[in-house]
Amino acid sequence: MADYILRRLIYMLITLFAVASILFLMFRMLPGDATLQVISPAMDEAVQQRMKAAFGLDKPLLQQYFIYLKNLVTMEWGRSFVTAQEVTAIVSYRFWNTLLLMVSGLCMTLTLGIGLGIIMAWKRNSPLDIGGTVVGLIFQAAPPFITGLLLLMTLSYRLGLFPTGGMYPAGARPDSIFGLLLMPAFWERIVLPTFTVGMYYLATPLLVMRDSMLEVLGSDYIELARAKGLKSSVIMFRHAARNALLGVVTLASILVGFAVGGQVVVESLFSWPGMGQLMVESAASHDYPVAQGTFLMLAILVIGLNFITDILYSYLDPRIKVSAEGISR
Amino acid sequence: MTTKIKDSLFKPLKKIVVEQYGIITSNRMGVIGLSFLLFFLIVAIFAPWLAPHDPWEMMYDVNEEFASLRSPSWEFPLGTTHLGYDLFSQLILATRTTLLIGSVSGAISILIGANIGLIAGYYGGKIDELLMRFTDILYGMPFLPFIIVLISLFGRHLEFIILAIVLIIWRTSARVIRAQTISIKQRQFIAAAKARGCSDFRIIYRHILPNVMPLLLLYAAFNIAWSIITEASTSFLGFGDGDTISWGGMLYELFLSGKTRVAWWWFAAPSICIILLVISLVLISRAYEEVANPRLRKR
Repeated sequence: MADYILRRLIYMLITLFAVASILFLMFRMLPGDATLQVISPAMDEAVQQRMKAAFGLDKPLLQQYFIYLKNLVTMEWGRSFVTAQEVTAIVSYRFWNTLLLMVSGLCMTLTLGIGLGIIMAWKRNSPLDIGGTVVGLIFQAAPPFITGLLLLMTLSYRLGLFPTGGMYPAGARPDSIFGLLLMPAFWERIVLPTFTVGMYYLATPLLVMRDSMLEVLGSDYIELARAKGLKSSVIMFRHAARNALLGVVTLASILVGFAVGGQVVVESLFSWPGMGQLMVESAASHDYPVAQGTFLMLAILVIGLNFITDILYSYLDPRIKVSAEGISR
Repeated sequence: MTTKIKDSLFKPLKKIVVEQYGIITSNRMGVIGLSFLLFFLIVAIFAPWLAPHDPWEMMYDVNEEFASLRSPSWEFPLGTTHLGYDLFSQLILATRTTLLIGSVSGAISILIGANIGLIAGYYGGKIDELLMRFTDILYGMPFLPFIIVLISLFGRHLEFIILAIVLIIWRTSARVIRAQTISIKQRQFIAAAKARGCSDFRIIYRHILPNVMPLLLLYAAFNIAWSIITEASTSFLGFGDGDTISWGGMLYELFLSGKTRVAWWWFAAPSICIILLVISLVLISRAYEEVANPRLRKR
């Protein structure tokens, strides 16, 4: 087990290093030269040279690359072109906001998906089963910005039940995460984005849970439990659901990877001050240090979460360790 | 020689098309999906002739009044925008953009993904290691941010948007097709083909490819659906091509105009189209899933 974790850890670090290197290449070598934003060609030639030297752009590319890697590790990610703030300061504040929304969305997806999946398998072919499948598929086909817009237009604009966006009322920035969690205004604002993300990913755990429940329900030990005369609710939740859950855990890593993507759209729509919104804003305003830092942080999030679900999965199902070598590579 | 290659590639291709059509139409959901898809395809092909107005022309109604933010009526079947653009015409022309991006990036990405999967799975060893590590690295990239950064660096043009989507979306199909190739490679008929002295090229494309074909088409459908959702999302975030209309772009214009409080019709039409198109692709892919391979859910 320790051996497995260690090897996964090394893979994770290699992937991170590769992503950071590709990012360097993307920002330095692509046609839309990132430096044009700060160093205008209209400036005096001598000034241009001095500025390039100040940014370290006069050095050969390979040397720039090593400086870049060193700066990444020492957490010197540069300053924003627009606000001149430290990129690390901006990103670290945003990081927790993104994580908060992501976790609440995933919790909703998983609890609703697993719970409803069990019930749908139990009442197979009932209106609930068919309705659940259809609703899941419709929300999966609708990109999150459509669901989100619909919720905004009906529940916020028309009925006035929820605020239209943000994380807290303007001017009431809480001083800590606990202060934030104690604000009723925060809970009012997290409902719609959570629901939007949650419903978008619902179909996957829902259908997988339903299908693996049906598979488990056909097995011998369930027959035996039935023959013993156990109540069907006990069979469903205590005997069948436990084994069917494994299929959903496999999916968790896929869901986690996708959830980071859905986050970008939802945060922009609901003006949630997270990394996704920052990513869109900085890319649109060509604020490359911020875009680069945010991208890297999102990549760390994706890679780190994949690592955790990998470990979690091999812990839950020891059989997988052998075959995972073949599958997950 | 060329006829031989033609024979070996096109004869099975024809057989495959007939077979796949059979798979889709044997399932009621598949038939529904296929008919919706064909409907959108026809609209896309004949779009310029079907659209009653120029999508960027400010409209005036019969009383010569500026037709801004009109709800659906006989004159403007899907209403107008705040600038008086006819939404019905916009919707029809946008079908073309959306289907173009979806099908082109779907086709290219499945071509890349399938070949990488086949080659990695068939040869194994160092080649497999190299290709799959590369795929792993792509899996470490956050999906939408990767595309947004590429578009903002390349420029907001249709071909760059397609390129950005293709560059990342092939990763899933490569992984899945590699796994399937490995399991097929171990079957006896492959050993028999090797013993007969078939070239690697022939074994991969003549013997293994037809066996991964249902899986490949399933992922082609997925890739098209994901490309459409991705294009709509990037357009909605303001990273679409400003010279063409897409459904996501129409919703971006709506959000930008701040008329979401009043113009429900502006929201409804493109949204319903996106959902219907994606659902039709999902229905087709489910028809495959039921027939082809019950273990496909592990991506």
